[in-house]
Amino acid sequence: MPPIDTDTGKNELKSRIQLLIDSNQVMVFSKSYCPYCVKVKALFKELDVECNVVELDLIEDGTNYQEMLLEMTGQKSVPNVFINKKHVGGCDKTMQAHEDGSLKQLLSGDNKAYEYDLIVIGGGSGGLACSKEAAVLGKKVMVLDYVVPTPKGTTWGLGGTCVNVGCIPKKLMHQTAVLGTAMQDARKFGWEFSETVTHNWDTMKTAVNNYIGSLNWGYRVALRDKDVNYVNAHAEFIEPHKIKATNKRGKETLHTAARFVLATGERPRYLGIPGDKEYCITSDDLFSLPHCPGKTLVIGASYVALECGGFLAGLGLDVTIMVRSILLRGFDQDMANRAGEHMEDHGIKFLRQYVPVKVEELEAGSPGRLKVTAKSTETDEVIEGEYNTVLIAVGRDACTDKVGLDKIGVKVNPKNGKIPVNDEEQTNVPHVYAIGDILEGKWELTPVAIQAGKLLARRLYKGSTLKCDYVNVPTTVFTPLEYGSCGLSEDRATELYGQDNLEVYHSQFWPLEFTVAGRDNNRCYGKIICNKLDNDRVIGFHYLGPNAGEVTQGFGIAMKCGATKEQLDGTIGIHPTCAEIFTTMEVTKSSGGDINLGGC
Amino acid sequence: MAHRLLVRRIWTLSAKDIRCLPASAAASSFSTSSLQSAATRASFLSPSRSLPCSLPHTSHREVSFNVQDHEDFTVRVIKSDLPVLVDFHAQWCGPCKILGPRLEKAIAKQKGRVTMAKVDIDDHTDLAIEYGVSAVPTVIAIRGGDVVDHFVGIKDDDELDSFVGKVIGQ
Repeated sequence: MPPIDTDTGKNELKSRIQLLIDSNQVMVFSKSYCPYCVKVKALFKELDVECNVVELDLIEDGTNYQEMLLEMTGQKSVPNVFINKKHVGGCDKTMQAHEDGSLKQLLSGDNKAYEYDLIVIGGGSGGLACSKEAAVLGKKVMVLDYVVPTPKGTTWGLGGTCVNVGCIPKKLMHQTAVLGTAMQDARKFGWEFSETVTHNWDTMKTAVNNYIGSLNWGYRVALRDKDVNYVNAHAEFIEPHKIKATNKRGKETLHTAARFVLATGERPRYLGIPGDKEYCITSDDLFSLPHCPGKTLVIGASYVALECGGFLAGLGLDVTIMVRSILLRGFDQDMANRAGEHMEDHGIKFLRQYVPVKVEELEAGSPGRLKVTAKSTETDEVIEGEYNTVLIAVGRDACTDKVGLDKIGVKVNPKNGKIPVNDEEQTNVPHVYAIGDILEGKWELTPVAIQAGKLLARRLYKGSTLKCDYVNVPTTVFTPLEYGSCGLSEDRATELYGQDNLEVYHSQFWPLEFTVAGRDNNRCYGKIICNKLDNDRVIGFHYLGPNAGEVTQGFGIAMKCGATKEQLDGTIGIHPTCAEIFTTMEVTKSSGGDINLGGC
Repeated sequence: MAHRLLVRRIWTLSAKDIRCLPASAAASSFSTSSLQSAATRASFLSPSRSLPCSLPHTSHREVSFNVQDHEDFTVRVIKSDLPVLVDFHAQWCGPCKILGPRLEKAIAKQKGRVTMAKVDIDDHTDLAIEYGVSAVPTVIAIRGGDVVDHFVGIKDDDELDSFVGKVIGQ
């Protein structure tokens, strides 16, 4: 059949094609011999979706069809796929839509039903990373973030725990303490300055919070620049695809989305004893406390407790840490105890095997005076103590109880509020995902949440298949002597592989910087755990010493690459450094050999 | 953005007429271009400009004021008779603390021909976001409701004098 060159003919053909598109849920213009067309047709068959196919090579005026389709869709090639009157594209586009879930949505015919492609609940590291990535991939995204003030009234800006009341202020205040130690060392190196050195809490607090203010603003601008709609409101599900947002003035709005990501994070747990919420503070309050906390009791032995107790002592404050059972549960216990011993060396008092029973106010003020009563976990003994500030750091609870998850049937672990997800961060409700600290059995670390959020967005909207890898995650606890680790603790490795199948290499070391200063000899310690069944592969890395984060990061990469003991031995060390200890480790724990190091 | 600003300006002007706050027509000492454009727009929007709404024009103005809220911004900046320099600043921003007083000095030299509005971006985040502020300090010049110029970062006294001069049409 010759090409159509009359307008009437063209219009007639166009309406014929349009009719096909309009009257079929799935319309595929195909060619019988084209392998891509075969693939697309097979997909719809597999999905058990009826699809109407026109084989352009088998009909008389197929060429004209193809010309007209080009005019209508800008696509000349086949297959040319339409779903519910919407042009999807060719084979690649259809397959991608299948992978990212939008095909299912198109088929269900509700592609226009929702206001947003994605609503993220929670504006912390994970939520922001996920929302920005989704927006970059062309999706319409909303982020809701709302900080419920602490019982003391503390509140903060956009960015979540890490930026406002976690990693950032913690590390800066730890640095304040590190500088204090450096000043003591400095005299040994010949620096001469006034005998009385004092620290000004307000100066530090203001400087730290000014920096946080700039970060809050930066996050806000990034959301605007990436076209993410940010709303400062508390979100609660009222239907599977609908949330109610309540802002601080109590104004309510409703929003719908095809998918949701829960990224609500955690908040400090209180003790549930008389006086805890009235008189005690948590890490949520500490970093913006308007006055120096003075003599402080830290309750708990979590990393938050040890880090906060550590830097407060480093500022010269009188610090006591009350521990119910063990330090740093879940971390390598050998390392945890070494970090604790170092803290004790430096004047931090530990009250072990005690739990507080009540906190009373003796005198109001900034700070005031509090009386803490505690009882032994082993005997009937009851003790009392007087402090200016009591900081509770006994763990954190997932903020999953006020989001309306029960209304839409998202499964939550009733014991800890955590959300179980599959290896793609998907909850039991398929269109609801969860990332970050609220995940059951996963790391509570900002970079993990960021990675999970980004990769989730790419899987949902870019056809990516890459999943977040939760194995061999390096991390550091910023105790006064820092503790960096990657992989398994010795305790966990023994459980998994049995002591006989492990070789543990270890060594103490004395950083060169400490020698002239004459401090902390044989306190720093390195340890690697190797799997004898797998070529002595390093499955646990542990470092107690200065700059632990900087040291551990690189070894984290080595472990991702599957480093073995032989490879560490074959690596040339950098001298004189702390990290070089891992290239020369010879003493095994099982040998009981001497691990005190001499000179060069 | 442009659309949003336009919509807001229309609302502003109609609100101005209803409330009879000091209107541009009552003033006498600004550049003709801004007066004209304001008058044209106003007459297009509302035929009732002759309502008795002229409050006495005060010749003594403060050099600068802190913007209280969105409405305050609308009243005192968008519909201001005078050109306004809006200083978007933050408490945590060191350079802002240097620029603010310099800018006030440059504006004081103009003896009431231009005024200055200070916006704390943490207190009025929506305003800053709406006006595209990414870093602070950001200063925008608004004349007759339109953004006519802007700069980001710190400037010395001479540069500020020339910026202010340009804004008031010198």
